[in-house]
Amino acid sequence: MKTSGAFHARLLEAWIELRQNPGRSFLQALGVMLGVASVLGGFSISDSQRQQTQRVFARVGGIDKLNVMPTDTVYQGTPSALHNANLGLRLEDAVDGGKVPTAKAVNATSVIKSARARVRSEFADQERDVNGIGADYVPLNGYEVEQGRGFSAHDFATGAPVAVLGSEAASVFFPTGEIVGKPLRIGNVPVTVIGVFHEKNFRFREGQQNIFAWRNRIVAVPSLLVAARMEGDQYHRLNRVTFRVPDLKAMADFSKELSSLVTSNHRLETDFRLDDVAKRLQRQMSQGDVYNIIFMLSGVLALIGGGMVNVNIQLASLKERVREVGVKMAIGAPGKEIFKAFMTEALLLTLLGSAAGFLIGIAFSWVITKSIGVPLALAPLSFVWATLLAVVFGFLFALYPAAKASRQSPMEALRYE
Amino acid sequence: MNIIETRGLTKVYGSNGNAVHALRGIDLVVGRGEYVALIGPSGSGKSTLMSILGCLDVPSGGTYALDGRQVEKLSGADLAAIRNEKIGFVFQQYNLLPRATILRNVELPMLYAGVPRKERRQRALDLLERVGIPDKANVLPGALSGGQRQRVAIARALANRPALLLADEPTGALDSKTGQEVLALFRELHAQGNTVLLVTHDPAIAATAERRVELHDGLVLRDQMEKAA
Ligand SMILES: Nc1ncnc2c1ncn2[C@@H]1O[C@H](COP(=O)(O)OP(=O)(O)OP(=O)(O)O)[C@@H](O)[C@H]1O
Ligand SMILES: [Mg+2]
Repeated sequence: MKTSGAFHARLLEAWIELRQNPGRSFLQALGVMLGVASVLGGFSISDSQRQQTQRVFARVGGIDKLNVMPTDTVYQGTPSALHNANLGLRLEDAVDGGKVPTAKAVNATSVIKSARARVRSEFADQERDVNGIGADYVPLNGYEVEQGRGFSAHDFATGAPVAVLGSEAASVFFPTGEIVGKPLRIGNVPVTVIGVFHEKNFRFREGQQNIFAWRNRIVAVPSLLVAARMEGDQYHRLNRVTFRVPDLKAMADFSKELSSLVTSNHRLETDFRLDDVAKRLQRQMSQGDVYNIIFMLSGVLALIGGGMVNVNIQLASLKERVREVGVKMAIGAPGKEIFKAFMTEALLLTLLGSAAGFLIGIAFSWVITKSIGVPLALAPLSFVWATLLAVVFGFLFALYPAAKASRQSPMEALRYE
Repeated sequence: MNIIETRGLTKVYGSNGNAVHALRGIDLVVGRGEYVALIGPSGSGKSTLMSILGCLDVPSGGTYALDGRQVEKLSGADLAAIRNEKIGFVFQQYNLLPRATILRNVELPMLYAGVPRKERRQRALDLLERVGIPDKANVLPGALSGGQRQRVAIARALANRPALLLADEPTGALDSKTGQEVLALFRELHAQGNTVLLVTHDPAIAATAERRVELHDGLVLRDQMEKAA
């Protein structure tokens, strides 16, 4: 085909050939399409599920949070002088912890001092857990202020008599909806409500219960207010200090330094407990492995499925194709030319088929993820695999008859059974 | 110069145990402008010889010069070019591409030869007129009668003005009246200077040829030259 060496001329010829054989072309494109769609669908659905599980894990388990909690070191008998001299976990530990060299991996710190107290408003009077909070507690726990304002650094530093309520607490103590600026009594301490948190809501699936409902019950005040005004504790002891370290490996190093720091702060008494980072690391890794295996398995199944569809379609038209190639060779088409024509046809079909396959695959996984109530995540890898599949099956199987025919003499191709 | 010159041409199908010796040493010389009928009983090797002469298949042994060129050792690409430019082959079963229009079927050999689009189209239309079906350019082969399909096949065979026109039982699938018309077309092409070699079972058809070559069991049994009655 001397004049049609130009690619566009070849493409035109390929288009003519495809149009001449609409049924076969459609089936072949269908093979590519289904293959691509199933790979894309399989990968996206499993990836969506995986990401959702990770999201749940991150939000519920909080693998990026390192907690320090006080422990009771006196198991039997009376506490020694050393025990009495120790103050337990206190604000100082949190502040010093933020200064160790590896603390640069920490991106937020939160402290909490909780107490049980009677909370009274003009509408309600209940025993409640009161959370004395400090530092980054609010963002670290995913709270957002919806009405009024949050705590200022000044509020925390001075232990200001102010409170921010969770949505449930707000509706219990102030059912009229007028909340900000209202007085509240916590134990014997009169405070002013300065804000309300946005309602926290998280469900594994749509229609299931809100696993964060308890978080909306929060009554938050500055930790210093609880420590100093309510409990008369001048050392500002805490129930828990939490450091958020996004990088788990950095967390391991930080955890070691923090442990020795707090130990020396506490006169070498380990009267505190640190989360076990090593275990967490191990768990995260093994979980990742499981997901990768599931992910690969479903992808491989999709590849095999899509491939089988394609092979069958190609084989069904093999005889017809070989004879056609025989005719073309008999009237002077060189084998190379037939090859190139097949390549161009396959390219065109692969493009058309995989474009349609992408759409179908995305639509399919959208429907599935929607029906199981998981947000759709499209894995970039799935596009790579799907394209690879399309190319392999589009080309390999389109070329097979051409290769088969061109290895024969035209006479043999014409007689092909 | 002779168009066809073969010496000791052999063809063996299969191997060892079930080998079939279809040709066992054919010496054949056909000059330019001849009209030759190839006859012989079924299985005598006529089709085998035609496919080798048409470069659709390669001989197992012997030599073959086409238009002065030795072809038995040529590569596949060179053979394709020879089939495209030097030979027009007409099959008993037409061998048209069933889903390509008549026009495209006739254009294809010219496409492979690199004839520009416009010229290709014009020549294809001219050829269809010449074989007597000028108004069927845009239909599919399935819409034509056997005789019309064979005319399309002949138009296609003539597309690149070949030096040699080969036809293996071109009237075998046609009724006798249509067969006569197709034969008349071959005679006409011969009259215009084409070299024609055709296989036939029909003694009446063979009788119209100026030369008859009779094969028997893979060998030339008789080679008779006589003027048509
Ligand atoms: N592709 C093939 N494989 C094996 N044997 C073959 C093949 N083609 C032909 N033969 C054998 O070669 C011999 C010659 O066959 P050929 O088709 O050339 O005969 P023919 O003279 O054309 O017969 P017919 O008049 O029936 O068309 C026969 O015995 C046939 O069975
Ligand atoms: Mg035959």
